[in-house]
Amino acid sequence: MKNYLNLIPISAKLHRRQTRMTRWCIVISVFLISAIFGMADMFLQSQKNLAIMTDGAWHVMFRGLDEEQTAFLAARPEVETLARYAATNYKLDMGYEVGGVQTVLCGFDETFFEIYPQAHLLEGAFPKERGEALVTESMRDRQGLSVGDMVEVITPEGSLAFTISGFVEDTSMLLKTDAYGIFMNTDTYLSCFSDATSGEDFACYVAFVPRCRIQRAIKEICGQMDIPEEMVSENAKLMGTLGQSSDHYIMVLYLTAFVLAALVAASGMMMILGSMNSNVAQRTEFFGMMRCLGATGRQVRRYVRTEAFYWCLRAIPPGIFGSVLTVWGLCRMLKVITPTWFGEMPGFGVSLPGVGSGILIGLLTVLAASRTPARKAAEVSPLTAVSGNAGTVFAAKKAAHTGRMHVETALGLHHAAGSRKNLILLTSSFAFSIILFLGFGIGVDFMGHAIVTLRPCTPDIAIVSSDNACSIPDALYRELRENVQIKRIFGRRFAYDMPARMAGEEKTVMLVSYEAYQFGWAAEELRQGEMESVRDGAGVLLVEKEGFEAEAGSEIELETKTGLQKVRIAGILSYAPFDGGGNVGTVICSEDLFRQLTGGTGYTILDMQLENPSDAVVEEIRRAAGDGYRFFDNRADNRETRAVYFSFALFVYGFLAVIALIAAFHIINSIAMSVAARMRQYGAMRAIGISIRQLQVMIAAETLTYLAGGLAEGLLLGLPLHYYLYRQAITARWGDAWSLPLMECMVIAVVMIGSAAAAMTGPVRRIREMSVVETVGM
Amino acid sequence: MEIMEVQNLCKTYGKGEAKVEALKHVSFTLKKGEFAAVIGESGSGKSTLLNCIGALDEPTGGRILLDGQNLFGMGEEERTIFRRRNIGFIFQAFHLIPELNVEQNIIFPLLLDYKKPDPGQVDEILEVLGLRERRGHLPGQLSGGQQQRVAIGRALITRPKLILADEPTGNLDRKNSREVMELLTKASRQYQQTILMITHNPNLITSVDRVMQVSDGMLTDLGGNANEKLS
Repeated sequence: MKNYLNLIPISAKLHRRQTRMTRWCIVISVFLISAIFGMADMFLQSQKNLAIMTDGAWHVMFRGLDEEQTAFLAARPEVETLARYAATNYKLDMGYEVGGVQTVLCGFDETFFEIYPQAHLLEGAFPKERGEALVTESMRDRQGLSVGDMVEVITPEGSLAFTISGFVEDTSMLLKTDAYGIFMNTDTYLSCFSDATSGEDFACYVAFVPRCRIQRAIKEICGQMDIPEEMVSENAKLMGTLGQSSDHYIMVLYLTAFVLAALVAASGMMMILGSMNSNVAQRTEFFGMMRCLGATGRQVRRYVRTEAFYWCLRAIPPGIFGSVLTVWGLCRMLKVITPTWFGEMPGFGVSLPGVGSGILIGLLTVLAASRTPARKAAEVSPLTAVSGNAGTVFAAKKAAHTGRMHVETALGLHHAAGSRKNLILLTSSFAFSIILFLGFGIGVDFMGHAIVTLRPCTPDIAIVSSDNACSIPDALYRELRENVQIKRIFGRRFAYDMPARMAGEEKTVMLVSYEAYQFGWAAEELRQGEMESVRDGAGVLLVEKEGFEAEAGSEIELETKTGLQKVRIAGILSYAPFDGGGNVGTVICSEDLFRQLTGGTGYTILDMQLENPSDAVVEEIRRAAGDGYRFFDNRADNRETRAVYFSFALFVYGFLAVIALIAAFHIINSIAMSVAARMRQYGAMRAIGISIRQLQVMIAAETLTYLAGGLAEGLLLGLPLHYYLYRQAITARWGDAWSLPLMECMVIAVVMIGSAAAAMTGPVRRIREMSVVETVGM
Repeated sequence: MEIMEVQNLCKTYGKGEAKVEALKHVSFTLKKGEFAAVIGESGSGKSTLLNCIGALDEPTGGRILLDGQNLFGMGEEERTIFRRRNIGFIFQAFHLIPELNVEQNIIFPLLLDYKKPDPGQVDEILEVLGLRERRGHLPGQLSGGQQQRVAIGRALITRPKLILADEPTGNLDRKNSREVMELLTKASRQYQQTILMITHNPNLITSVDRVMQVSDGMLTDLGGNANEKLS
């Protein structure tokens, strides 16, 4: 040993058990901070990549710029890429066709490929010459085209011919609508549509250079070039992930995430601070002995700080390592479960902000947290320390109130509340768990609103009448009902635009028939009245809607093919999975009543939920249905919806579970440390004659004081935070009013009370097993 | 009248070659009001003896009867209650409760027994100890001598059958040591208090009634008024 500081690793080895809790606190805090920041970074990266893949890498789009303005914009130093773009027949409603297939015609600059990676060149080259064009791969495959061939587009005004210069991948929009795409340069485009298009019809997509303050740049550009605000639109998703969006809601969401991240960091800091205070407090005698042996106050301070640094060296790497593994695991899982949303997530990426924040916050907190204990330790008088006066570094300043309660209870309360600083530190760290839990609890509400869940009535596949009439025969329904691979089949008959009269007012309604399943699901949405008579065909259900307010029991007159029919509104539903749109109301009745009213015996839609959603089963159903119907296959969408919900639920509930676990760990740790710091005192009390039961009461009183203080402080600060975050993230978007989060409060309170009860068992066991002689040092 | 009887007390630590016999068949008795001292070199076994008599450590063999009751014939809880009612402790390191003031520290054993302290008795003890003016002070605000006086008061408050004092002046200077010894002697005389003190300081035994010596785990009774013999 060359230096007194070399004692630190030796002491750490000998007192492994005493320092274990402190090291664990650092490991967990660093892990938590690094994992959360790392995951947030990965999420942002993936969302940024996803936004680029789906919407393009452009930041802002300007409309109505003339040639001069466009050139001026392109020359600005903050503009990295500029691409002009225009499209015809984008909505596939203008009659532009190739071989009978609707075709979109686009004109853009070559730079468009840089900011729109979805438009991926497969073969050939960008059309440089007038009359050249790129076409999509589906057109190539179906029309048997190759580079150099001519393609002719039939338009309402005649035909257009292009020489194929290459092929591009189909975009998702073209695939979904089963349409072709033809892409040309802006000159060709202008020449094709010269009579209807000018340079100002091109939209200018702009990507700014990295680290550009985009909002400021937009303001400057608009100011200098006199561009009205309504001519500028943002790529909201991409700008949001860059934190540069002008969309208030997106920025509020990011602010919410930042507040929660800051809370996590603060919580980690509190944990470390509390555990270090207790750790030093347990070793009064040791520091007193050092002072006796001649160590100066400064040397003791250096010892405590170096020891803290030593812990950092040992505790931070496992915390970081654990967080990297966790982030990898979570990213892989999300990639596999929901490829559409998280496919762009890095598989084995290391988040530098995550790792950096973990190391930095861990190191700074430990070193900052060691300052107070170091000062306290340096202040220990050699005499006080070696007198072994059953005390700690944090000597009492006030006597306990033993007059009104039993002495063990009074002492327990005093142990907790005697030092205001200790009380504030511990109750605050307990309170932080509640604040975090309530803060992150917003995630559950957010998920409930933002992520669409599958309704019980969501079908895997649907057969829909091609003319929206009741043309699907009942025989098909009966045949499919016998198929064991179909779990549920339920049909609806629709009578559209049916004139009706409600309370003397002329209306238009859509009459829909339900069967047993759908009536069952609709029961949850029943706001008024009853459903039994509707099932029996003696009434109808009206779906609540503006302009269609009625009381259950009132009547509605329907103008059917057989004449004016009066039916009773037996119940009011708050929701139906379909809507007639505009001013059309929805009236639901039984199949029999539908037949009586309209004469329709077939179905408009047959929905099916599959027992085994395999391709073979779907093909079998398609064969049974035959041609003449539209066939909707929702299996992939349903899978994706379930997976997205599952991923978010896993995150939100997983996070809440982690917070609850940390709260439990922290409570158990704090109580264990507090008891350990007073072990000698308890030993002396045992010698004087205190019973184990009385010591139990003492520890319980101390624990309950922290718990009650923590719960009160946590709810006092956590509920306003919950209110604020709810208003910002939920009310602002969906209008739901804030209500007391009783469930969240109850869950975290139960966790904390359970942890406090568990926290007492360890110390009590140690007291029971302790040797008074050895503890007191007789 | 004999208040305590130690019969054939043995205490062994370790096993096999590491076996250490700390006490070897120690037997003696103490009369009510007797102030006895046990002297011995460091490691002689005197602290082990005190710990066994104080029911803090369980002997390997033998019996200890206090007022006719076998200390190790009772359960843990019963023994704890018996100890706080019948045995007072004075430690070398005082071991006061830092969160309790002087008066509260003194009445602490009574409070543990949920008894209401007699104010007259408390005042009397504070007076005897010279701590009347400091009754509201916390241990951290007292000198070492004053703290040990509080510890003596705490040992006296329950009027125990026996007070065990382990090097009560070990942490004190000469003046405070003398004052503490005077207080113990006064307690023994004034309250007929039986006291067994352990010390390795021969100067302290001038005022005791009887001296015993422990050497290598064996006890030798050196008899009463050992002042002349040992000086």
